[in-house]
Amino acid sequence: MVFYPKCKVGDKLETKNFQCPYQESKLHSTAKLVERANHEITNNQLKKVNLVWLELNGCAGNIISLLNGQNPDFQFLLTQMANLVYSNSLLAAEGTEAMDELFNAIGSDYILAVEGAVSRKDEGIYNLIGRHDGQLITGLDAVRQLGENAAHVIAVGACASHGGVSAARPNPTGCVGVYQVLQRKVIQLPGCPCHPDWFMGTLAYIMLYGEPPLDSRNRPLMFYSTTIHDRCPRRSYFDQGIFASKLGEKTCMFKMGCRGPVTQIDCPIRQWNGHVNWPVEDDSICIGCAQFGFPDAMEPFITFKSTRGE
Amino acid sequence: MAEKITINPVTRISGFMEIEAEVENNVVVDAKTKGLMFRGFEKMLMGRDPFDAVYFTQRICGICSTAHSVAATLALESSMNFVPSEQGRYLRDITHACEFLQNHLRHFYQYTLPDYVKLPENYPLFKTDHNDYRLPKETNDRMVEDYFTSLEFSRNAHQMLAILGGKAPHNHGVFIGGITSPVTVSKIIALTSLLDGIEQFINDRMIPDVYKIGEYYSEYYYMGKGYGNLLSYGCFDHYRELGTLYVDPLVYSNNIITPFHPEEISQANDFSWFNENDQPDFQKEKAYSWIKATRYNDLPFEVGPLARQWLSGEYRNGISAMDRTIARVLEAKKIVQIMKVLIGNLIPDVPMQEEYRVPDNAMGRGLLDTTRGALGHWLVIENKKIAFYQIITPSAWNLSTQTGDIKGTGEQAIMGAHVSSVDAPVEIGRIIRSFDPCVSCATHVFSEGKPGKVIRVV
Repeated sequence: MVFYPKCKVGDKLETKNFQCPYQESKLHSTAKLVERANHEITNNQLKKVNLVWLELNGCAGNIISLLNGQNPDFQFLLTQMANLVYSNSLLAAEGTEAMDELFNAIGSDYILAVEGAVSRKDEGIYNLIGRHDGQLITGLDAVRQLGENAAHVIAVGACASHGGVSAARPNPTGCVGVYQVLQRKVIQLPGCPCHPDWFMGTLAYIMLYGEPPLDSRNRPLMFYSTTIHDRCPRRSYFDQGIFASKLGEKTCMFKMGCRGPVTQIDCPIRQWNGHVNWPVEDDSICIGCAQFGFPDAMEPFITFKSTRGE
Repeated sequence: MAEKITINPVTRISGFMEIEAEVENNVVVDAKTKGLMFRGFEKMLMGRDPFDAVYFTQRICGICSTAHSVAATLALESSMNFVPSEQGRYLRDITHACEFLQNHLRHFYQYTLPDYVKLPENYPLFKTDHNDYRLPKETNDRMVEDYFTSLEFSRNAHQMLAILGGKAPHNHGVFIGGITSPVTVSKIIALTSLLDGIEQFINDRMIPDVYKIGEYYSEYYYMGKGYGNLLSYGCFDHYRELGTLYVDPLVYSNNIITPFHPEEISQANDFSWFNENDQPDFQKEKAYSWIKATRYNDLPFEVGPLARQWLSGEYRNGISAMDRTIARVLEAKKIVQIMKVLIGNLIPDVPMQEEYRVPDNAMGRGLLDTTRGALGHWLVIENKKIAFYQIITPSAWNLSTQTGDIKGTGEQAIMGAHVSSVDAPVEIGRIIRSFDPCVSCATHVFSEGKPGKVIRVV
């Protein structure tokens, strides 16, 4: 299998080396990366990684989305790729024992995946994730301690990447993205939620080659290189100026507030939930959930005004 | 001499929660359930475009986002005096039903099973410090297999949701009028096929699995009862032609079932971290949770699958931690049957969408029963913007805090429980998980500049 024809395996790829983004994203599809990682694990060329999944102030929708993974699925992640050390949603242990498991990861070699935003207001009291040695632990404490010691930090979803909905105005609990509280690089996987392939592909890439090629805002280029608009199956309607006036129509929804033109992500070719559908195919607007600035910069999500000329 | 137990985090729930209990002679004599996260959604919603609430409120919860999209849509429709077509309603309710299946499968296998089934310890995720696992090896092994097999079917439930709603979690299909895209014959066939697989798994594995757990952990039929007050806003009910497929809005208290009246709902924050102006106040004396105290007729109520199964007359074995878990599993089967009726009544290729106008000034409410129980959204629109939004979630009922000396629903269920070891109080977690708590949902209730009571809209 060829990955980057111009580079050796392990080389970092610069943006300028990219040719056709569509081809690139196909070449580096998650399934192929995971297949290769698994092959190397089976042949003892690669070790399973320790993975800590830290939930902060959010909706826990990213772990739910990860459970929706298919080829590779969650069982594969758990049994073949990673030692999942911690997940508030899934851990069998509870209480003190659970917190011990979390903090015992420090000192080992692990990858930290974070979902949810970091609440900074009032020393982080709006997000208490457990009690360790009797003391309440804020999400802010936990992400600082675990983030500084991790081999890689991955912000999974909009809230962890840039605050997302948890930081929507007036941001009552002072939420920010993980990168704003750590003095280190954080790989950003914005999206509400994060597609399971974006996470699994990133993890497999790290295991095989180290950090994947990232754009200037630390998003993996293999998923985030191209706008929805550039690959939208309804693009020809946009070019011809044929616009929908209500949902359920099969033409371009730009005038109803579709944020495809500013949202860099691969939804049109990847699609969701076993690759069966995605918002535009479902006759609905893209609300820009995978773009920085979501939700405030993407509002109003939907409007009927522009088509009525109000 | 009472010993104090603190469990934090209570894992395998959605969101963050602490349980504090006092135990005397191995019996719980005091209990507090504490919601430990807060985001302030109602405050964020102020000033936004009303239609955006359908998408925005889904972000309250990753495991039950569709429920919020439906509640927001119902609230908007009521504010616009808009009545969707029955076809639109069927499709929206099928979409919502997909979420029930995803939730019930995941709650039973990923959240509940590790309380009773010894999962392989070579995975760090499954290590535990208690050893109260009673299933014979062969049975235990089969349930471990089902833990993993279930992932395919909960995933398929979300795939069905995405077929109608674009993606899951956080769908794009549910909207005023029903859903966005007309259903096609090929979609109906895909839904039917996926549903058949899920139904088979529920009948062949999930139902036998829960009864087997009940057999080996039979004392849980006598633990975790609580007040025994049950409530539903109605679920898959009052279709124009199909009537009620599940349960009408009803209330059960003191052995009597009566009709539900929304104006009897109230909320108090005596013991939650909000001051008299409803502002967050972490320093407030006596307060211990971000969850308020939701009451009906000034009494705490239980909501969820057992409440619905009881009120509809489908399950009356008892009210306990085990009955709650069994009722949830049996409800999964019931939901499949309801979906079959609704799918059987679909007419392909019927458009549902119109060009909608935001009312200048209006009020609306959306009340429905969802996976975990009764969910309500209330909104006020002023000058075409959201001027007030209030959300009361199922877990705001089940994890409600104290009022006076009256414990919340979940707290009361823990009271009196027998705890074998204060160092590994596995019983408490088992009882509270039978409610399927969702703290992400329950703790954002916040309404600036408005009285902390539910607005009443006729």
